[in-house]
Amino acid sequence: MYLSIEEPTEKISSNAVSVWRISNTLGHLSALIIAAILLVCSRQFGWYVWIGTVLYGLSGIILLSAIYSIAIEPVYLQRTWRYQIDEEFVQLKHGRWREKHTLIPMEKVEYVRSEQGPFMRRYNLYSIEVGTTTTSHVIPAIPSEEAKKVKAQIAVYAKIKDKDFVEGEKGA
Amino acid sequence: MTPTVKRYHPAMIALDFVSFIKGWSSVFLILFIFKASSSSSLVIGGRYLFFMGMFFSIVWSFFKWYFHQYEITADTLILREGVFVKEQRSVPFERIHNQKSNTTFVHRWFGLTSLTLETGTSGENASFRFPVITEEEKRRILSHLEGNYTEENNQLEEPSGRTIHFRSTKKDLIKASFTSLSFFAIFPIVSAIYFNLADYFEIEKTAKTALDYLFIHWWMLLVLLIPTLALSCVIGFIKTYIKYGNYVISDDKERIYIEKGAGNFISFSIPKHRVQAVVVKQSLLKRMLGLVSIKLISAGSFEEEKNQETSSLYPFMPKQEAYRILQTMLPHYQIVEQMERFPIRVLWLKLLHPYYLTIAAIIVLLIFKKEWLWLAALVFALSIAERICDYWFTGYIRYGHTIQIRNGGFTNKTFVTHLERIQQITVQHSWLERKFGVATILFSNKAKPLHVSKLYGVSKEEAVSFYNWYHQKSAS
Repeated sequence: MYLSIEEPTEKISSNAVSVWRISNTLGHLSALIIAAILLVCSRQFGWYVWIGTVLYGLSGIILLSAIYSIAIEPVYLQRTWRYQIDEEFVQLKHGRWREKHTLIPMEKVEYVRSEQGPFMRRYNLYSIEVGTTTTSHVIPAIPSEEAKKVKAQIAVYAKIKDKDFVEGEKGA
Repeated sequence: MTPTVKRYHPAMIALDFVSFIKGWSSVFLILFIFKASSSSSLVIGGRYLFFMGMFFSIVWSFFKWYFHQYEITADTLILREGVFVKEQRSVPFERIHNQKSNTTFVHRWFGLTSLTLETGTSGENASFRFPVITEEEKRRILSHLEGNYTEENNQLEEPSGRTIHFRSTKKDLIKASFTSLSFFAIFPIVSAIYFNLADYFEIEKTAKTALDYLFIHWWMLLVLLIPTLALSCVIGFIKTYIKYGNYVISDDKERIYIEKGAGNFISFSIPKHRVQAVVVKQSLLKRMLGLVSIKLISAGSFEEEKNQETSSLYPFMPKQEAYRILQTMLPHYQIVEQMERFPIRVLWLKLLHPYYLTIAAIIVLLIFKKEWLWLAALVFALSIAERICDYWFTGYIRYGHTIQIRNGGFTNKTFVTHLERIQQITVQHSWLERKFGVATILFSNKAKPLHVSKLYGVSKEEAVSFYNWYHQKSAS
């Protein structure tokens, strides 16, 4: 551990790896197909040569990115993702090369939302989105039962009034 | 008792008309001045179209004026608008953060003004605008907002209790016009005039021969240059005067007021408790002249229209004076000059980062202009200078509930805010940062758009204590 801070403890589902693998494969595949179509077009219709060169370069980058985000990234992301919800804060942590710790006070939380994509349904997972007035954070891939609990919990805790706002009302 | 449901002032129609003329002035010029003698059907048809468009825009403005209504109840403001699509919006007074009024030249002719009320939310409907109302009406609305409206004291005791902190003098303006480099404004103006004329007359040829002549008789160029420079200074000064003339900063117990502008009169006010953070900005030139610009960050910040930073205090104020004013108006936001610099290893770390701009410059030059490749070296040198500056000016201090950070290379930014105003924080560290024993801290403040402050190279011990500082906020 690099920073000696109280780290969040809850892990996300290990099925997240498969979900990410499937969706990243599909995403990269479609990008590659588009690139291939454009390449064929540029051959057929005699577009400028540099367009072809750029397209080859792009395909190469897509391939590299595919290797990274299908084979390597999901495993590490799943292993490093931690979250924790208590009365006062939502704590998130993820990433290995670049480790990120985020702290959101409950009083700033405006809404909480759960979402399920087609691949996540197969594994019975939900992602939870925690929104503040200005940003939103997603906790990916939590098992359905757990997700419902987390959602309800945040909803209850978030009822705490924003201190800043109350102050404002008094002054106005 | 006056009826509660009101329309805007009928002069709105006239104002709409003026803005229509302004928007279509170039078309008008072509149709009626430059092609005055033309009898081509295109021009004649264009004229008819122009008049028809004018007629419809007037009719439309009339309907718009007729259907736009507003109502002020005890604690809510209700706006109804829309000719075909009706829309009704309402906002409780307590949600309104800032207010701004903008009196343009045209408003001035009619003795009218406009008022915009900003709520803390973002999005299309975040602000409520009264495009054309009388001064009195504006005061009535504002006094409703402040909750001290009574029928008798309709004529509000307006400036009571306000202390004026700053009033711009001619000297300030001259300084401002030089610092803002506004004397360069002559170039776009001249080129705009030139290209507009070139569209209609064949001056290009004449200009070319004239230029050739000038290059041969170079002393003529000098003679021409001096009045041009003088003219550009005058134009720069006038531009600055229009924008920053009559600048007044004042405050009372609750709010801060900023008024400015010689032509367009703009007044802005923000409740003190809504100030989310204070930013002090200094460019290289300003640093040399000892000037700073101070900006107040608030949730309902107005987007910067046409470079008019409304929520900034006078942008060309001497540093000491600016700090003094800030301290009397917002005693909670104290700026600490002396900040600890990061250990020298952070400089090496910063220099180690990839030089994307230089790489991009090399690639672009290799493709398009190989003989100018030396420019890349210049870019590289500038990047290094920028990073050293960045290291030199970067500072961080945290005491009590206050946090202050400063960063940036050639232009540096000092940012002060409080624990309660921070929306969320992130502490992150990459592989390289871990090798150097540092981390990056990020924290966000409510603003429009969200203001994220990022400080790179904080020692890991401090990153931990920053994290814990925020984590224990409610306990303390």
